[in-house]
Amino acid sequence: MPQNEVIEGLGLDEYKYGFVDEEQHVFRTRPGLDEEIVRQISAQKEEPEWMLEFRLKALKIYESKPMPTWGGDLSELEDTLDQIYFYVRPSERMGTSWDEVPENIKRTYERLGIPEAEQKVLAGLGAQYESEMVYHSLKEEWEAQGVIFDSIEDGLRKHPELFRKYFATVVPPGDNKFAALNSAVWSGGSFVYIPPGVELDTPLQAYFRVNQERMGQFERTLIIADENSRAHYIEGCTAPVYSTESFHSGVIEIVVLPGAHFRYTTIQNWSNNMYNLVTQRALVHRGAAMEWLDGNLGSKLTMKYPSCYLVGEGAHGSILSIAYAGDGQHQDTGGKVVHAAPNTSSTIVSKSISKGHGRSSYRGLCKVYEGAVNSRSNVECDALLINETSRTDTYPYIEIEEKRASVGHEATVSKVGDEQLFYLMSRGMSEEEAMALIVRGFIEPIAKELPLEYAVELNKLIELEMEGSVG
Amino acid sequence: MTEASVIETSAPAEGVTETLNREAVERAAAQEPTWLAERRAHAWDVYERTPLPSTKLEEWRYTDVRRLLDLDALTPAPRPEAGTGEALLEGLDGLPAGLRAVMAEDREAAGHVAIVDGCVRHVDLSDELARQGIVLTSLARAVQLHPELLEEHLATHAVPPEEGKFQALNAALWADGVFLYVPAGASLDLPVRVSRWLSGGGLAVFSRTLIVAEAGARVSFVDEIVSDDLDAQSLESSVVEVIARDGAQVQYVSLQRLGHRAFYQAAQRTLAGRDATLDTLNVSLGASVARVDLNARLLGPGANSDMLGLYFGDGDQHFDHNTSQDHEAPNAHSDLLYKGALDGHAHAVFRGIIRVHEGAQGTDAYQTNRNLILSEHARADSLPNLEIEADDVRCSHGATVGQLDQETLFYLMSRGIPQQPAERLVVMGFLGEVLSRLPLGGVVDKVTRAIEVKLRHG
Repeated sequence: MPQNEVIEGLGLDEYKYGFVDEEQHVFRTRPGLDEEIVRQISAQKEEPEWMLEFRLKALKIYESKPMPTWGGDLSELEDTLDQIYFYVRPSERMGTSWDEVPENIKRTYERLGIPEAEQKVLAGLGAQYESEMVYHSLKEEWEAQGVIFDSIEDGLRKHPELFRKYFATVVPPGDNKFAALNSAVWSGGSFVYIPPGVELDTPLQAYFRVNQERMGQFERTLIIADENSRAHYIEGCTAPVYSTESFHSGVIEIVVLPGAHFRYTTIQNWSNNMYNLVTQRALVHRGAAMEWLDGNLGSKLTMKYPSCYLVGEGAHGSILSIAYAGDGQHQDTGGKVVHAAPNTSSTIVSKSISKGHGRSSYRGLCKVYEGAVNSRSNVECDALLINETSRTDTYPYIEIEEKRASVGHEATVSKVGDEQLFYLMSRGMSEEEAMALIVRGFIEPIAKELPLEYAVELNKLIELEMEGSVG
Repeated sequence: MTEASVIETSAPAEGVTETLNREAVERAAAQEPTWLAERRAHAWDVYERTPLPSTKLEEWRYTDVRRLLDLDALTPAPRPEAGTGEALLEGLDGLPAGLRAVMAEDREAAGHVAIVDGCVRHVDLSDELARQGIVLTSLARAVQLHPELLEEHLATHAVPPEEGKFQALNAALWADGVFLYVPAGASLDLPVRVSRWLSGGGLAVFSRTLIVAEAGARVSFVDEIVSDDLDAQSLESSVVEVIARDGAQVQYVSLQRLGHRAFYQAAQRTLAGRDATLDTLNVSLGASVARVDLNARLLGPGANSDMLGLYFGDGDQHFDHNTSQDHEAPNAHSDLLYKGALDGHAHAVFRGIIRVHEGAQGTDAYQTNRNLILSEHARADSLPNLEIEADDVRCSHGATVGQLDQETLFYLMSRGIPQQPAERLVVMGFLGEVLSRLPLGGVVDKVTRAIEVKLRHG
């Protein structure tokens, strides 16, 4: 591909950053970014020399790369970047009061039926103490099997060789401007290692992980699924996450070694002031399978295109993407599959809903290199438009260099049909209920892949979002 | 722009050469009315300040003009001498043999135009049609005979120079072309046939086509371009502007069968008014590089455009079809189908976009691109895009890239057909779907034969 940058993006992320009273931080850098700040971050974390050098190199790359001109509107981001604090080490206790959480967010929590303790976590006010017992028993079970599930900082400290072997091999700093930025200032995130042959029935949930350092806006996650292992990792949650930060840029790297099967689920529901620019990518080896389940409900602008690089024979990649763009939101999401070995297969299914003045864009790549014989890929995009003012776009890139390959892409755009509404209303539903039901039906193929509690919450959320959408 | 910055830009602009320069524009405009001379000068200004497209531009991502085209090595083809457009049919003997052979197959027509290196050498139109007020003439003559129509439509609202580097270059340097005017309610049962010939290497040929069909008019137009293989690169630049007023029905067909080393660049735009039907077919078989930009604008409610395309590449051919369907009025319909087969080291790019503008409710728009890869080294890139800003729409697109259908092939071979003829049959079946949707007399046979020749050589 001549201009890699056009599609770079990948990524995933979410994470609730705290809702943190600035006065109470143990340490924070001054606003803006330069070499001194990168050195401070590295020193604070007491990192090895190689990591400092890596960060400094990444900073140079970040500075040399122009702001992307494709995707969403980033014109206001440059000013934001001059003003933000690139590193804040939060204190153990989150110091903000519940009173400061905006009313609409609180109301949503209440209507979703989220317990108060959990609401506070979502609003960045505390850690999930309630879950600690559950978490500890799970953790013991995992540790017995050799599973590592740590903060990224602990990963670097406790498993330096494993960490260094894979870190930045899937998403190098030069990949795109925001991957370079993350590489320079990363802080927080998970380090996961699943040993060969280990199969985990319970998903690893970042939500349960109690870090001494909470996840931040430049979160970085590195996951290694060793040969023939099987696991599911869940990031984020469907309920809205409130943050005072306006910029989030994560990097997620996953290495799926031969025969392993890994699923990464993320539901992003940042509050609507957030730029969410994430690079998330998996390297999928021989006979291995990677599944991304990617939901984007929140943020002002999200640019995120989970990727599978199928580098070993028989590798499989699957991306399920769902996007909801309400008023003032732009979800520029999709997926990327690169077939670089024979007999590889992939599917991308994308469903998007645009409401009010919302805009959802599917952007994706399917690339088959010469020599990736008998590769198969199928992409389906469906877009649902709720209002006259809603907008949807589809920008697929299909690049095929191999004769013995089969690639298909299909997309449809539709609005909620009057006939569907009429039928449901004739059965006694209100127009809003009918609308919510139709939308739920539309996203059902994705919702059914979610763990039950997430699916239930997602459905409730859709119902809330559809209120006031008709009439 | 401040004066200082104007002076700063004194370095030669990209694409200005020994022969493609302001003097050439002034020579082209020497005998022309002021409005046209000014229009050329303006187009040249646009050309100078527009950079040559690079692969950093989304629309040129897969076609590296800087590598594929050497403007320095080109000389503009000589302009026609005054009056040559008057030649009679008998005068066809003076035309190149290759062009005569092409025309020999096109006896059935409402009128003919023969063009050599961008300059019209022959025009005929039946007296009966002329009496209906239909005008078919060279663009050079039309400047004298129909200045008001040209001033309104030529390089203005259809393909203005601001559209791009090549569009500007063509608007500044065009030598001649075709003007077809069909008055309100007039109707042509047979197509108008234009046959173009490119005579050699090292040439830069700029020609334009302007078709205006008034309300309720009906016309088909077949535009064929042919050459032998060339000894050096030539640029054949073609701008096509088609305007269909309310209720008019227009078919525009382009058959491109240029030889090796030709660089073919075409910019086509169709404007469809209320309830107008404006269908197009682009067949790309020849040239080393062919870049076709087709923009269909549906400007009136109920407008309709079928957009068909067919390409077959082998050797090191590079095709780039860049289409757009702009729905700017409600209840319009457009349906695009581009299919191609690729052999040898051929590379095909399809980039298409459906734009449903705000307020274009009731839009029906479809877009399909299908590619067949026949060899180890061929490549296909497909970018079918949608941008939709209205909710009451039916839109879909699809793209596929794959190999020959093995089951069909197996079936044919099990019936005793040897592999190669069987493969040819499957390819013809695949591409034939496009032709069957625009079964214009003569065109289907001609294209089928041309593809068969290519298949046998491959």
